[in-house]
Amino acid sequence: MRAKVILLVEDNRDDEVLTLRALKKSHILNDVIVARNGVEALDYLFGEGGYADRDMSVMPAVILLDLKLPLLDGFEVLKRLRSEVRTKFLPVVVLTTSREERDLLDSYSLGANSYIRKPVDFEKFAEAIHQLGLYWLVHNEPPPGINGDSK
Amino acid sequence: MKPAILIIDDSLTVRMDLSEALNLAGFATTLCATLEAARYALSRTPFVLMILDIILPDGDGIDFLSETRSQHSTAALPVILLSTVAEVSDRIRGLKTGADEYVGKPYDTSYVVARARELARKNISNRPLDNTTTVLVIDDSATFLEALKSALESAGYAVITAGTGEDGLRLAADMRPNAIIVDGVLPGMDGASVIRWIRLDTALRRTPCLLLTGSEGQGNEVIALDAGADAYLRKESDNGIVLARLAAVLRSAQTPSALESGSSLLGPKRILTVDDSSTYLQELATQLRQEGYEPILAHSGEEAIELLTAQPADCILLDLVMPGLSGQDTCRKIKSSATWRDIPLLMLTALDESEAMIAGINSGADDYITKSGDFAVLKARVRAQLRRKQFEDENRRIREQLRCKEIEAEQARAALQLAETRTVLLADLERKNKELESFSYSVSHDLRAPLRAIDGFTQAVIADFSAQLPEEGKEYLQRVCAATHRMGELIDDLLELCRVTRHDLHYKRVDLSLIANAICTDVRRSAPEREADFVIADGLIASGDRSLLQLVLENLIGNAWKYSGKKPRAKIEFGSTTINGVTEYFVRDDGAGFNMKYAAKLFGAFQRLHSEDEFPGTGIGLATVQRIIHRHRGEMRAEAAVDKGATFYFTLPERTTIGEETCAQK
Repeated sequence: MRAKVILLVEDNRDDEVLTLRALKKSHILNDVIVARNGVEALDYLFGEGGYADRDMSVMPAVILLDLKLPLLDGFEVLKRLRSEVRTKFLPVVVLTTSREERDLLDSYSLGANSYIRKPVDFEKFAEAIHQLGLYWLVHNEPPPGINGDSK
Repeated sequence: MKPAILIIDDSLTVRMDLSEALNLAGFATTLCATLEAARYALSRTPFVLMILDIILPDGDGIDFLSETRSQHSTAALPVILLSTVAEVSDRIRGLKTGADEYVGKPYDTSYVVARARELARKNISNRPLDNTTTVLVIDDSATFLEALKSALESAGYAVITAGTGEDGLRLAADMRPNAIIVDGVLPGMDGASVIRWIRLDTALRRTPCLLLTGSEGQGNEVIALDAGADAYLRKESDNGIVLARLAAVLRSAQTPSALESGSSLLGPKRILTVDDSSTYLQELATQLRQEGYEPILAHSGEEAIELLTAQPADCILLDLVMPGLSGQDTCRKIKSSATWRDIPLLMLTALDESEAMIAGINSGADDYITKSGDFAVLKARVRAQLRRKQFEDENRRIREQLRCKEIEAEQARAALQLAETRTVLLADLERKNKELESFSYSVSHDLRAPLRAIDGFTQAVIADFSAQLPEEGKEYLQRVCAATHRMGELIDDLLELCRVTRHDLHYKRVDLSLIANAICTDVRRSAPEREADFVIADGLIASGDRSLLQLVLENLIGNAWKYSGKKPRAKIEFGSTTINGVTEYFVRDDGAGFNMKYAAKLFGAFQRLHSEDEFPGTGIGLATVQRIIHRHRGEMRAEAAVDKGATFYFTLPERTTIGEETCAQK
């Protein structure tokens, strides 16, 4: 079985480094693909643009999606993902600073699987990353058809 | 030189008829049967008015009209179109081309003349503009004219004089006097005819007219009053009487009536008849009934006043000499009442003395009749007064309708303005709310991200490079982390405060006891080692927004827990008291308390009464609580003493109006 890949969609370099560090701290050693905006994320997922020749049999086991992004924001990415057969069932964890109720509601309405608010405290943040890594990468049973698991 | 009118019509009958009527009204006329002749006349003579037929042997009247309108010298000339063409489209075409009036044939001569006079007057602008009262005197005797003129002038009137009825009418049309005194017997047009003409003219119709006549011929007087004179004077009367009568008619013409008479204009006129002699009263009543009036009889001034109080009258005939309340006093009483002063009042007296007459009129009577006189005269005068009253009523009705329309229009305009202002304000409010929303969104998202970086990387340095760091350096970095956490809390609390303000209230019955119990369980769990007693009253139910009231209790119970943290065994209470029907809820602790001297600072954002070392906090919690209570239209207060604990009271009034809280508050 191939190693599960994580797609991190994050435009803030600090948050990117901190998230990667938190993953490492939790001993989550999966490959992390970083997309810095919504377009890049979709390019990766659909093998377009800069990712035109990537191996399309590999799909991320979980997508960590920030909401506030340049070009296409998190909501638009989510909408697009849920409308395509290939990505319809991909687990998406919204990882955001926003604690606006509206954002929470919109995220779930568009089909997010989880919504995590990034706390200021790094320790709490690291704990949250640890938990979500554990849940989505270890415990969660993905739907059939993703990453050729059904083969 | 008389003002000239150009008449263009191919019918000789029409030309002659109009010419005669207009000459009589004081105009010169030029008659043309063709347009060619009219063009020639227009080029020669300045006219004040043109009366124009539409179908003419050598062309179309309306075309000719547009021709005159296009020429500078005749562009402003008033034009009356006269035609058998009854087509609406022709009428419209004529009026659009610039006709001032359109009269269909067969026409009413007097109407054409009245319109002609009006239109011509617009063209003659020599009216005096001052405020003096102008009186037009028409008499053929130069001696009489001079005598009356000097008497009037010494009484402060401006006087214009005319020797014939025709001249008088022309002057009246041009000068618009405030009153007209006209001799009954004149060469040519007589006084009654002059008054009749005046009454036909819409502009002059309300001008008070006094008719003078010689002592002989009361029939003459009846005719004159029927023609519409307001008052009647013997020619040999002395000037004092003339002045008093003049003042009386001017007074009634000038005071706009305040009273809408209760009776219809068409119904029988109620005439209050007051005389101490029953015989005379009965005779008078019979005479009045014959005329179709409804006489109401009173035997004294007191009775008259009483009757008036019960039912208004259209006219009052009042005896001057009566026992008890005299005629003069009764008259004064009636005329000083706002509701009655517009009722025409005629004084009756047996005395044929000018002093009595003057006294009567001075006490406010509108006219004066001698009892010895013929009933025909009396009836004519009553008719004259009623007619005057009717004109006034009509005018007042029109004025009032206009005023009502104006008021309505004004109200509509005001309402529109209000609606517009409201729309603008609402749009403004909405925009500001949106701004605030996007602001707090940015705060929520953008301010926290760098804080997380500061904390995260500081922690990373502490974790990864602790071997290389001296203890002091590590301590400093811990302080950096503590500060970022605190900043994070501040941002969160500020956002909460904002959210409380923007949050729409959803009123429900809320079980406060249930919420308080749950919060107490939570806080106890946060520090299981602490010993504390919670006393929560059961069944406290209020109406309000559940999530916001939860926030209130979280803050207050959280504070109570925090500030009683140094007690070995704290006691925290939640309950209510009802005084004078007002229920106050309270949260009480026996902790640190505070000095009441600073109670005013308690509810301000960022205001703290304790140091961060003593009790940590952002100082926003109570501001949030107060804002929530205020949004519920409730009140908030605190009682405390240092080291004796604190009690926070709040009220939650039952909501009386629905919907007032549906939009976000300021």
